[in-house]
Amino acid sequence: MPARNPAVASAVDSARTAAELVEERRRAALEVFEAEPLPTWRRSGFWTTSLRGLDLDALEPKRYEPGLPEVDLGDEEHAALIVQRGASVVHVDVFDERVTVMPLEQAAEEHPELVREHLGKRLPHDESKFAAGTAAFWTGGVFVHVPANERIEKPIQVVWLIDEPGTAQWAHTLAIVGEHAECKIREYFLAPDFEGQALHSGAFELYAHPGSHVDLAHYQDWGRGEVYDLSTRRVEIRRDARVKWVPIHLGGRLTKQTLDIITAEPGSDMRHTGLYFTERDEHLDLFTTDKHEAGHTTGDTVWKGVLTGDSRASYEGLIHIVPKAPEVDTYLQTHQMLLSPKAKGDAIPSLIVEVDNVKASHGGTVGELDPEQIFYMMTRGIPRAEAVRVLVEGYFEEVVQRLEDPGLEELVRRRVAEKLKGAEDQVREFIGERAEAA
Amino acid sequence: MTLEIQNLHVRTEDREILHGVDLTVRKGETHALMGPNGSGKSTLANSLMGNPVYEVTEGRILLNGEDLTEADPDERAKAGLFMAFQYPATIPGVSVANFLRMAVNAGREEPIKVKEFGAMLKEHMELLRIDKAFTSRYLNEGFSGGEKKRAEILQLAMLQPDFAVLDETDSGLDIDALRIVADGVNAMRGEERGFLIITHYTRVLNYVRPDFVHIMIDGRIVQEGGPELADELEQKGYEWVREEVAASAG
Repeated sequence: MPARNPAVASAVDSARTAAELVEERRRAALEVFEAEPLPTWRRSGFWTTSLRGLDLDALEPKRYEPGLPEVDLGDEEHAALIVQRGASVVHVDVFDERVTVMPLEQAAEEHPELVREHLGKRLPHDESKFAAGTAAFWTGGVFVHVPANERIEKPIQVVWLIDEPGTAQWAHTLAIVGEHAECKIREYFLAPDFEGQALHSGAFELYAHPGSHVDLAHYQDWGRGEVYDLSTRRVEIRRDARVKWVPIHLGGRLTKQTLDIITAEPGSDMRHTGLYFTERDEHLDLFTTDKHEAGHTTGDTVWKGVLTGDSRASYEGLIHIVPKAPEVDTYLQTHQMLLSPKAKGDAIPSLIVEVDNVKASHGGTVGELDPEQIFYMMTRGIPRAEAVRVLVEGYFEEVVQRLEDPGLEELVRRRVAEKLKGAEDQVREFIGERAEAA
Repeated sequence: MTLEIQNLHVRTEDREILHGVDLTVRKGETHALMGPNGSGKSTLANSLMGNPVYEVTEGRILLNGEDLTEADPDERAKAGLFMAFQYPATIPGVSVANFLRMAVNAGREEPIKVKEFGAMLKEHMELLRIDKAFTSRYLNEGFSGGEKKRAEILQLAMLQPDFAVLDETDSGLDIDALRIVADGVNAMRGEERGFLIITHYTRVLNYVRPDFVHIMIDGRIVQEGGPELADELEQKGYEWVREEVAASAG
């Protein structure tokens, strides 16, 4: 054989291996999925997230023909756009040819080494029933790769769309950002208002290689339908790399997510800023971990939520600093604002530090709008409803501004304003008319 | 054109604080309301603005003849009433400039033009010697005591109300800051505006000379007079007032 052939042979070899890896993973995961009972998440005795209301057997992966559905993404321009509708990738558009964006199924064939090296590295297929379900059943999928040293200005946009009740969407995104590359990645989770149930069981993994800068946002707005979202998202940040991650939760019947951000090597830095707004009978259960696996890493986490209606929202944020990770400097704060007497929430920061010589702090508040603030604004002629809107927007502003993306910021502000408008009556009732107080 | 407070009784959840207060401020006049801590001065100011913490059980508040006793605070503001707070609230996420624009627009049919707003803001900030960078900070977040008071007077200047209540605006200010604030207030005085300056100390009245002085003790106005009453109080103190009241009652 000529000298170059072994390389070709090895690529073919690993192509088979990558595809095989996916298949092996599917088989192993299926066993776990079938063996595991439907989970119920309990915490501290009083908080329960249960899937009793979900009729899983009635849901199925729905296939669609290619075509770009209408979606509102805030951003007008993008480096690439990939849309998965139900179980099918229906649209792929790559404007910036330096990046690779394609269905994960296709990547397993065409980029076997990248897939083999990264797929599931931080997402074990057996860590939970739905993690296993996702590993077993995902179709289509999303693969993003930004090669080393490339600076991609416009965002890479990924859309997960559920537009019919009865849909089970098993989703997997694998994103790899090469050394010293810079990019923006946005994932949208969208559904129109429909009647009936649907499931999004998602897996997301991002590997930020040494020296890279990634600006990552997740925007979830599942609408008024009964969409259950059970997802795990994990971000690995390597030496001197930096990831800014902004997850936004603006809707979903039940959301149970594990969001982990890992500074894996010295010099890595995370900025983790989340926002949620729950209404009606929505149930949101978030567990985030800022995990420092190496010394000389830094972190900064801020989460803010607002609850209206009968909604339930629980945010638990953990800072975990492992042994042999000194000189970590990190903090986490979580705030929650109740705008309805029937809403229930909690915001729990916690800390596991297994090493000395680190700086780690955390804080959490659960509160209501301050009547003194409302009074103050009203004395300036600002009507009560507007004062409430301004105060809630102001409260979120710190998070929204961290998006550093005018289009997406505007989308978030607009949706928050719409939700507040919808909740105006109950907010008015809750903060109390002066006449009632008197 | 008057602000009339008639036989005002005000209570909180646990007790009555104002036991029938009468006070009338005409446009063009500056009144000082003085009294020791806990006499009910701030309760009066807050009741004038409709703070829901306080309940008016008797009496009326009239502005230019309009009964505002039950009005919401924003309606009072639109009717021409303003209060500079002793302890203004912090409004996170809202810059001074945006807040001012919102407040100015709340009192107008058409939103103010950007240029007009900018010019107005610049003029008043120069008068109050406020740095330009100040307007992009979130309102009162991390402000020093002096900055908060200046921000209150800046709002007063921007909103141009018919009647302004200054609730202990002088407290906690050093002499320089007090002068700046007093200059700002003096620049606002005129035929078209009335002031009610609430203070514990006579110091501010050396800079903003009142036309009338009222002394409040234990939820009642017990003495009234011209600016000379403040001078007398300066020399003799609140104990003297208490003794006078006790003597006349006895």
